[in-house]
Parts: sequence; structure tokens; C-alpha cells
Amino acid sequence: MLWPLIKSAAALALAIALISIVLVALGVSPVAVFAALAEGAFGSWYAFTDTVVKATPLVFTGLAIAVAFSAALWNIGADGQLLVGAILSGAIGPFLGGWPRPIAITIVLVAGALGGAIWGGLAGWLRARRDVNEVISTIMLNFVAVQTLSWCVHGPLMEATRAYPASTPIAESAHLGFYFPPSRLNLGIAIGIILAIGCHLLLFRTSFGFELRAMGRNRRAAAFFGLPIASLTVRVMALSGALAGLAGSVQVASITHRLYEKLSPGWGYEAIAVALVARLNPIGIVAAAFLFGALDNGSQAMQRAVGVSPVLVQVIEGMVILILLAFDTPIWSRLGGRLGGAKGPAHAPALSPDA
Amino acid sequence: MLEAFLTSTMTMATPILLAALGELMVEESGLINIGIEGAMLSGAFFALAAAYFGGSTVLGLAAGIGSGIAINAIFALMVVNLAVNQVVAGTALDILALGLTGVFYRKFFGVTGSSFMVKSMARLPLGPLANIPLLGRAFFDHNALVYFSFALVPVVAYMLRRTRYGLRLRAAGERPDAADALGLDVYRLRWQALIVSGALTGLAGAFLTLAYANTFVENISAGRGFVALSVVILGRWSSWGLAAASILFGAAMALQFAMQALGTAIPYQLFLALPYALTVIVLATVGGQVAAPSALGEPYSRS
Amino acid sequence: MLAARAITRRFGRTLALDGVDFEAHAGEIHALLGENGAGKTTLMNVIAGATRPNSGEVTLDGAALNAGSPQEALKAGIAAVHQSPMLFERMSWEENLALGGFGRRGRYDLRAVAAEAAALASQLGLKLPPPRAILEQRSVSERVRLELLRALSFEPLVLILDEPTSVLAPSELAGFLELLERLRAEGRIVVWITHKLAEARAAADRITVLRQGRVVARAISPETPERELAQLMLGELAPPDAAAIPKGGSGQSVLLLDNLLLIEDGRSIIDGLTLELSGGEITGLAGVDGNGQTELVELLARVRTPSGGSIRLSARTEAAEIAVIPQDRDHDGLVLDMTLWENLLLEPGLRERFTNGSWLDVAKARALGADVIARYKIRAASPDALAAELSGGNRQRLEVARAMSLKPKVIIAHNICRGLDLAATADVHRALVDFAAAGGAVLLISSDLDELLALCGRLFVISRGKIRETEPAERTPERLGLLMAGAWS
Repeated sequence: MLWPLIKSAAALALAIALISIVLVALGVSPVAVFAALAEGAFGSWYAFTDTVVKATPLVFTGLAIAVAFSAALWNIGADGQLLVGAILSGAIGPFLGGWPRPIAITIVLVAGALGGAIWGGLAGWLRARRDVNEVISTIMLNFVAVQTLSWCVHGPLMEATRAYPASTPIAESAHLGFYFPPSRLNLGIAIGIILAIGCHLLLFRTSFGFELRAMGRNRRAAAFFGLPIASLTVRVMALSGALAGLAGSVQVASITHRLYEKLSPGWGYEAIAVALVARLNPIGIVAAAFLFGALDNGSQAMQRAVGVSPVLVQVIEGMVILILLAFDTPIWSRLGGRLGGAKGPAHAPALSPDA
Repeated sequence: MLEAFLTSTMTMATPILLAALGELMVEESGLINIGIEGAMLSGAFFALAAAYFGGSTVLGLAAGIGSGIAINAIFALMVVNLAVNQVVAGTALDILALGLTGVFYRKFFGVTGSSFMVKSMARLPLGPLANIPLLGRAFFDHNALVYFSFALVPVVAYMLRRTRYGLRLRAAGERPDAADALGLDVYRLRWQALIVSGALTGLAGAFLTLAYANTFVENISAGRGFVALSVVILGRWSSWGLAAASILFGAAMALQFAMQALGTAIPYQLFLALPYALTVIVLATVGGQVAAPSALGEPYSRS
Repeated sequence: MLAARAITRRFGRTLALDGVDFEAHAGEIHALLGENGAGKTTLMNVIAGATRPNSGEVTLDGAALNAGSPQEALKAGIAAVHQSPMLFERMSWEENLALGGFGRRGRYDLRAVAAEAAALASQLGLKLPPPRAILEQRSVSERVRLELLRALSFEPLVLILDEPTSVLAPSELAGFLELLERLRAEGRIVVWITHKLAEARAAADRITVLRQGRVVARAISPETPERELAQLMLGELAPPDAAAIPKGGSGQSVLLLDNLLLIEDGRSIIDGLTLELSGGEITGLAGVDGNGQTELVELLARVRTPSGGSIRLSARTEAAEIAVIPQDRDHDGLVLDMTLWENLLLEPGLRERFTNGSWLDVAKARALGADVIARYKIRAASPDALAAELSGGNRQRLEVARAMSLKPKVIIAHNICRGLDLAATADVHRALVDFAAAGGAVLLISSDLDELLALCGRLFVISRGKIRETEPAERTPERLGLLMAGAWS
């Protein structure tokens, strides 16, 4: 139980050490950088709440990745699924004025989940029925989604004055309101945590979750024992897409209230780092999302304080993924076995080479 | 108008073709490199940085090639030697390159980068060919990289299908265990493919900054690496097919500019999305895996 | 002289080779005899450089070879022909040969490769496919011949053949033996890996016998009586209590395969197979791998649908009462990265039993896991142990336990004792015998004749998708070997 946690922490520490070297080479003090990051993320009540706000979409997309990767379906398209979810939410949102709040919010969220499910399910269907590699199709569908969003905010969904490339705001009845203004804390994170618990139960306590994980760890054996591989592929990808779509729809309902072109700063990709640090464990994803949300949030303050680009966070993400992957190889497992007393293959099985 | 469109098509197709030819070799050796986007982006940034501070295009090209190779070397270490999941490792490198180039860029050039221009690569009109009406300017009045990328098409085709080395590379991608049993060094073949591909992808990135934009903006590659991935699939793993698919993608991008200039009612996003949608549609109709190397994307480690 | 000294190789917890010494002299055909799982193929891979031993070294004429380097082994003159061909299916046969020793010098030219190959092939009396034919469309035996040709193209000093006769037609056997004799006359070394006693005695100059990863007889004479060889190969195997083995069935028909047909890409894999299984009996199906057994198992597991014919259950049997144990436990039978109890749930019948609505009853499934560990002597710390942590024998016990837990009427078992040690084999056999004695029907599909002869009431032979029942007089290893080679089909 403890070993994966230690590994994730070690990967993070190693990534920070490597980045410190880069920073020193650039003539920047790593201490100042990380102090500014921490200050920006946790320095005040407002900063802390905004960390939670920044973590929220990562909880959803992280879960999306975890569900798909657990089934050995390499969904690189969470970003596109998020955008399609947001588009549907943003398209239907303006028409919900006067509806009771719970219903309006539900409609917006269901629309988002549906949009993501369609986008993810399409990739799943292509994999199951047309033998199209989901990695390629999800990457391609990301770009189609980006262009679709761009077209929507320049065309059919453009706001009334037609001055800005943004959509008509959604009705106020569909807003996930702020509870402690001026902080932007909202119901989104609660929904995320509930979904994380739900995903945990789904993966480890239901027959569907069992089938999904069995397929992810040994597709051949799963097929031999009659698991419906094709239908599982479509359902898992649709579920993964729905979770990502919810990220978009929660963002629209709580923060932006409208669509615009750069809606996602790459949450669908960042989610891969989140999911891997959490070892694909849904509960762990909440913690990992919080961590990366803190980095995202602190990065702005860091830029102001020490003049380092906020994309430094992406350097950390990329390094953490690479280091964790390397930790999962037999070479490190053997080392891990000696150091930490881990037994057997001490890796996230769905990421092992033979998965 | 048409001439400008054709010229623009060739320009847009060049970096895609360069990267795709490299990816073709990598895929023939049995690997799929999603990190190609990151390699291209690094190539773009370091080429500009070297050209700007060194004052030389050649230095810039060399830096682009070098950084492409460096990114691919990390990928090779991860997926060839450590046999980790190729998709995840590649995605990590994309994210890493996006971050690194961003951090370096702000550090070196501050926040307003647009003033950091370099001289565009010199055009080399091909003598009388360049004077052919319409086609001359479009096809025979470009910089050296454009000619180089298209000249590479028959070279790669010949190398893969007509040489012993190409046969060995394909053997590594078809059945690495059998290639290994025959005494081929699968690890080395895959490393070699990745190094060559890194050089070509870095060059593609250099093209973006030194011959197209003449400056750098964050994420300047804007998915062109992923486009190269789909070009390999659309081109059915044949160099000639790759050239055709690259021109198709180039044309779609060029058409977007033409449409914006003309102010037509057709949304330009359609042309931007079309190549990606087309890739998915073609894959769905032709079937995904038919022409792909058998062991593509499967990790291989020697027992 | 080829020598392997003190070779030890572990795979996970299995000790495949345990300090093996092996020697073969120039100008001899040396048989490496052993039952399935004795370590023959691992030894071959170590010698050919494909597998790096944990310790020990291989020398050829006194020079040590770099362990785990196929390049160096080939350069030194060691070539191997594998049981399942190591070929590039989607390339033409010329390209496959060009990856061998043909046309290595000069310009790369496939026509030159074809010409060289044709010259060698005509010497051997082998026929080559038409020009540019892609391998995946050729038959298995054609592919094996191409691999043999490719191995010979290296002009090897040492040629290792892994069960070469299993895919050769009887008519090709004479030419093949002639070829080996010529290689011997040229002073080369032929290492012939086989589990067939008769073959080893007939063709070899000397025989080395492997059992459970150890050499039990080194370079003995082929004149050694067959009984003695068998005993060396199998050990002092206490035969299952003959009286306990149910020979005659209850006659109560449980499952009928009626004129079963499976056609793929125009080739018939299963060709009009009719077989009736009855309770209280172990029915055997003998065959060389690749004659339709895997596909038959998949049909019975309902992973495939037959092209014709039917699988009929008797009135009182339900589909869920057929338990299938596939041959490849690590790839088909188990999910190694899941726990022991989760692997029990892989069986749909059991999963159904532990599911309420769509919720899994984890506590009950775990309890079954604990129960099974105790009852089937599975060495595992707890039901939460990963299947990957179990040894091969314990993995097999887990598979058998899973099948039994289903309380089935029929068990289909495919090569289930391959690679197991004696204790595990005995346990697994005991479980099948007990099951049959209690009225169950067993179809035991195996390429291990001794297992089949010891356990089965009726015994069938499968070759190229057709089956034939054997007469009592035919139930000797020699006769069965011939039948398995397809002498009748």
C-alpha cells in the first residue's frame, strides 16, 4: 500500500531536483522559485481556494484517464472530450433561464457528460469495430474538437454583439455558484470527489469494473473467458469521455459561464501525469489533482515573483511521468524489492509492458 | 492567387513531410513515437535560439537537428532499453518539450518575443525551372529544406524496400524476437531509426522558425507532429504515400489562409479540422492496422 | 566440440535449467531427449544465444561464446530451427531468406537470394513457394522448411533442431534424415531436440536425457533399451493407481460434438469432427500442436463460433457446466497481475455466483479463494496474492481449482501439465481422475502420450483437424507417434 506512494513521492522529488539543476543553470534560484510556487498556491485563503478550483478539472480528467488506462485503452483524447462536453453545455446553457436551479444544472452537466461520452465512445467504437488504434483516433479527435469549438465561438454560438470570439453566457440558473465570495470555491470539487469515490467502487466492487480491469491486464485471457471485449471497449471509452466531458461542463457552469477558444490549457494531457502519480487509483487522483492544481495555481505567482514561465509546471509533469515509467520497469522493481520490501511485480499493472 | 496557394502548400507540407519520413522509419522498426510533437517543438526553439544568438542559419539548423535527436534519445532510452509504454512516454515528452521551450523562451527572450526575428532562409530558385509560368514559382523557387524534404522521399523509399538495411529495419518491426534470433541487434536498429527521425523532426522544427515564421512563439508546432503521425497512416507506410498525404495536409492549411483572404462564408476551421477528420474516416473505412508493421507499439525486451 | 557447462536459468520462480552440462562432438547427431517442460528448448535458446543463462557458459571448440548474444552464436556457427517458426509472416519468402545467410555479400538482390536458395533446396529435394509469395499465406510445414533452409544458409557448424519431425510429412522424413547424415559426414554437429524415444534411438549417435531441468543421462548410446530411456525421461513416476482410473464410462452422454467444422481463410482448421463425451470417463485427444486443438478448445469455450456442425449438450447439462482449462495458463488462463480470488472470478459461472445485481461480493469471493488454497494445496500467502507470485505448478493448481469450483459436468483440459514438476503433475492428474470417478466427463487434449496412455479410457488422435479413435492395439507410443504424424489422414 505504502510503496506506490513512496514511489510517486520519490518521482516528484527527483523531478524537482532535476528542475532545480536546470534553474540554477538558467541563473534562477530554485528556492525562490519553489517558495513563490508555494506562496502562490497556499499563501492565503484565497490562494488555497483557487488551488482547489484549479484542481477541479484535473480530478475529472484524471478519473477519465484512470478508467481508460485501467482497461489498457490509451485515451490521449481527454482534452477533446472535455471540449465537446463544454460545447454541449455551453450550447444548451443559455436556454435554461427560468428553470429551477437543480434541474438547469443537471441538464448542463448531463449535456457535458453526453458530449464527452460521444467523443470518447466514438474512439472506442472505432477501436472495437474498425480496428482503429485509439491513440491515433483520440489525438485526431482532439484537433477536430479544438476546431469545432473555434468555429462555434466564431459562428453559431457567438455572443450577441459579435465583438468577441466567445459564446452567449449560460443562464444564471445553471451556474454552480460561488459559496465563499470572493473565492471561487464551488460545488465542482464536491462533485469530483463524489465521482472519485464512485469510480473507486465501480473499478473494485462491481462486475463491470472487474471486467474492465481484467481486460486491461490480460486482453487474451479476458476474451477466452467470454468477456465482451468489443462492447467493453466502447463502454469504457464512453465512460472515460463522459468524465472528461464533465470537466468541461463543470468549468463552464462554475467559472467561465461561456465558451471561448482556449478553454482548456491542456487538462486532458496534464491528467495523464495526475493519473500516473495516483497509480490510477481514483481516490489518489483527488490528491494528485490537488497537487498539480497547486502547481498550476502557484505558477502565476511564481512568474510575477521570479520571472519564470508558468509552463515550468509542464516540465515537472513531463519529468514525473518519465520517472514514474522508469520506476515501473523490472530494473527498478528489483531495486525496489531490495529497498522497500515490495513483493512481486511492484508496478501499476496496466502500465506494464505486457498489459 | 493559385500560385500563392501552391507555394504555400509546398511550404506547409515540408515540415510535415520531414517529420513523417522520420516517423515512417521509426514505425517500420516497430515503435510509435507520439513524442514527435515535442521533438519538433524543441527543434523549432533551439534552431531559433542558435540562429539568433549565433547569427547563422547553419548553426540554427544544426541546433534544431541536435535538439530533435536529444528528445528522441530520451524516448529511445525509455522505450527501447526500458521497454516502457510508448504512448505514455511519448506524451510525457510532448508535455516536457512544451514546458522546457516555454521556460527557456521566456528566460532568453522575455515575454515579447515577436521582435526577436531572424532572417528567413534564402530561396534557391532552380534556374530556368523557376521561370515556368505558374508552376515555376510554386514548385521550384523555395529554400533548400523544401527540396531536401521531397528529394528524401525516393531515398527513404529505396532504403526501406531495396536495401539490406531497410529489410533489417522492417524485420525489427515485424517480429523483433525472430530478428533477434537471426543476430540482428533490434535495440540498435530502433535507436538508429529514432536518431535519424530525431534529426529529421528537429529539422522540421527548424523549418518552422527559420523559414516559415522567422521567430518563435510558444507551441509553434501546433500539432504538426501529430499531423505527421496521421500522414504516416494515411500514406499507408509508403514514402510516396507520405508525400501525397503531406501535400494534402499542406493544401488544407494553405486553403485556410486563402479562404480567410477571400473572406468566403465557409468557416476556415473546416479546413483546419478536415485533415484530422479525414485521417479518422480513412482509418475507419480502410481498417486501422492493415498496412502497419505487425509489432508496432508493442514493447520488446530481450529475454 | 560444442559444450555447455553448468548452465542455470530461472524464469521467475521456475528453475528451467539447473546446472546443466551438455557436450556434442563434431560429426555427430546428438539427441536431446526429454518430456515437455524438461528444459530442452531453454537449453537450445541458451546455446543459440537467444536466452542469457543466470550462470554457466557455452563454448564451441574451446572458445567461450558471449552469453545471450544471438549475433555471436550465429557468427560462431550455431543456427537453430524452432518448433514454431521464427519467420516474418508479412514478408515474402525471399526476404525471409535474405535475413538469413543467403545473398549476404554484394548488392542486395532478392533474385540472387532466390537463386541461391533454389540451388540448396534442390539438393535437399525441397520445393520452394512461387516467387514473391508472402509467408502468411503458406502452410505451416512449408514455413518450417523455409526456416530449415534459412538456418542451413548460415552453413552452420552446429544445427539445433527443435522437434523438427512434428511438422514434417512422413514422405519428407527420408529426405530430411538424409540431409542430417550429410551434415554429419561434413563434420558438423546436429542437436536434435525431441520427446520421442523412437526417433532419438533411430537417428542419433548419442543421446542426452533431460528431466526437470537436469541432465539425468549424458551422451548414452542409442542402443539403450527403450524402457530404460523412458524411465530416465520420466523418472520413477509412480503411475496413477491403475484401479482408480475410470476406464469405461457410465455411458451417460453429456456432450456431443457433431460434425464440427471450422474454416478460416479458406482452410479448414477443424474438419468434420464428431465426438461424444460421457460421464465417468477421461477421453483423450492426442495430437501434435497446431492440428486444430487450440481452435477446438476455443470452440468449446464459446470464444469462436463453428462454421458448421454443432456442439450439443445433453438435456440435463447447461452451458455453464463446461469448464475449460486452456493450455497457455499465463496468457489465456490467468490474469497474472490480478489476485488469486480475482482469477477465480474470471470464470463467468463463478462471477455470476458472486455478483448481486452488478455488485461483486468481494468477501465471499475471497473466502472461496482461501478455501481453494487449502483444498488444492496452492502455495500462496493469501487469496490476495497476485497470480504472478505463484509458481507454474501453483498457477496450474489454481486453474484446476477454478474449474472444479464451478461444479461442472464437463472439463476440457488442454496440455495442462506442460512444464509442471512431478508433484504438481500428480496433483493435477489426481484431481481429474477424482472428478471422472465422481461421474464427470473429461476431455484431455494433450501432446504428452504418456499422460494420455496413463489416464484415458478412450483415446482419439487429431491430425489436420480430423480425429480418429485408436484401437487398443495401437496404444503404444510408437504407433501413436505415427498416427499423430498424420499417417492416416
